[in-house]
Amino acid sequence: MGLTDPTVPAAADPQATRSDPSSSEQDVRHRIGQLTRTLHDALRQLGYDRELMDARDNLPDARDRLAYIARVTGEAAENVLNAVDRARTVQQELSEQAAGLRDRWQEPAGGKATTPAGKRLIDQTCDFLAGVGGHADRTNAILTDIMMAQDFHDLTGQVLRRVVVLAQSLEEQLLKLLIDTTPASQRTRTDAARGLAGPLVCAVAREDIVIDQQGVDDLLASLGF
Amino acid sequence: MNADPRFLIVDDFSTMRRIVRNLLKEIGFGNVEEAEDGVVALNMLKAGKFDFVVSDINMPNMNGFELLKIIRSDDSLRTIPVLMVTAEAKKEDIVLAAKGGASGYIVKPFTKATLEEKVQKIMTKVS
Repeated sequence: MGLTDPTVPAAADPQATRSDPSSSEQDVRHRIGQLTRTLHDALRQLGYDRELMDARDNLPDARDRLAYIARVTGEAAENVLNAVDRARTVQQELSEQAAGLRDRWQEPAGGKATTPAGKRLIDQTCDFLAGVGGHADRTNAILTDIMMAQDFHDLTGQVLRRVVVLAQSLEEQLLKLLIDTTPASQRTRTDAARGLAGPLVCAVAREDIVIDQQGVDDLLASLGF
Repeated sequence: MNADPRFLIVDDFSTMRRIVRNLLKEIGFGNVEEAEDGVVALNMLKAGKFDFVVSDINMPNMNGFELLKIIRSDDSLRTIPVLMVTAEAKKEDIVLAAKGGASGYIVKPFTKATLEEKVQKIMTKVS
């Protein structure tokens, strides 16, 4: 059995289409429709429609998994930010209590030592307490780095969102391939939407993007901004 | 500009809003509100006085470009500085933002120093 569909009319006369652009366009659409139908029939005869259907059925599951990753990584990032906030509070308290204690040790009564060893201990304690503020500042700087690292959720989340859209599109196309038997001229045309570039995933051989903040500043400066 | 400027952070990712909020606080700006997209941001901008907008671009409902366009075309909002903080790295988008009236543009991921520098630069320019 052949793969062509006998119910589909033959293509229009090429001579006639040359003189009439609309007729030519119609002919092309007709032939695309014929090819689609042929492909559909061929896939069915070869048993691939089942596989395509499986692939289509699996795509929602893939989308769910991606959504799950986005949700879990988001929660993880929030948990880290909560921990950073708590650690900052502890650092703040530590710094304030150390400063208060140091002031008390430096008061005449508090810092009065009866022996040279006691005097040294008081001095060392005061030095330590004086250094706590600096340590707290350094810890806060590290906490800021930890906080900033959580922006991965935003960046990966945007990439995931785009992949989900892609999977959805693929799913729709597979579905169409399986059930679409209407002529090409009656199909709804879907233009690929001009999407935003999103996070930079691979900058290799791309001239239309900048790879860092310096690139942004240079570009804006070249435009007079 | 106001001694205690009121910031509006617009981003659909709560993590990023929180990060920018904390950074602004570290820089010295604690008067910060948040919006999850351009529509919410616009309502907030019209309802209360804000001195500075930090906006993402890629958001549902109303993206950053659309928000910027509306802000620049609204007499009561047009003077508010708008700093775009976004993952959009396409030159086309950067040029679009600049020509649309953005006061600055930062690509993610960014550092605290970059945010501070841009915010201070814009503030100096405004005042």
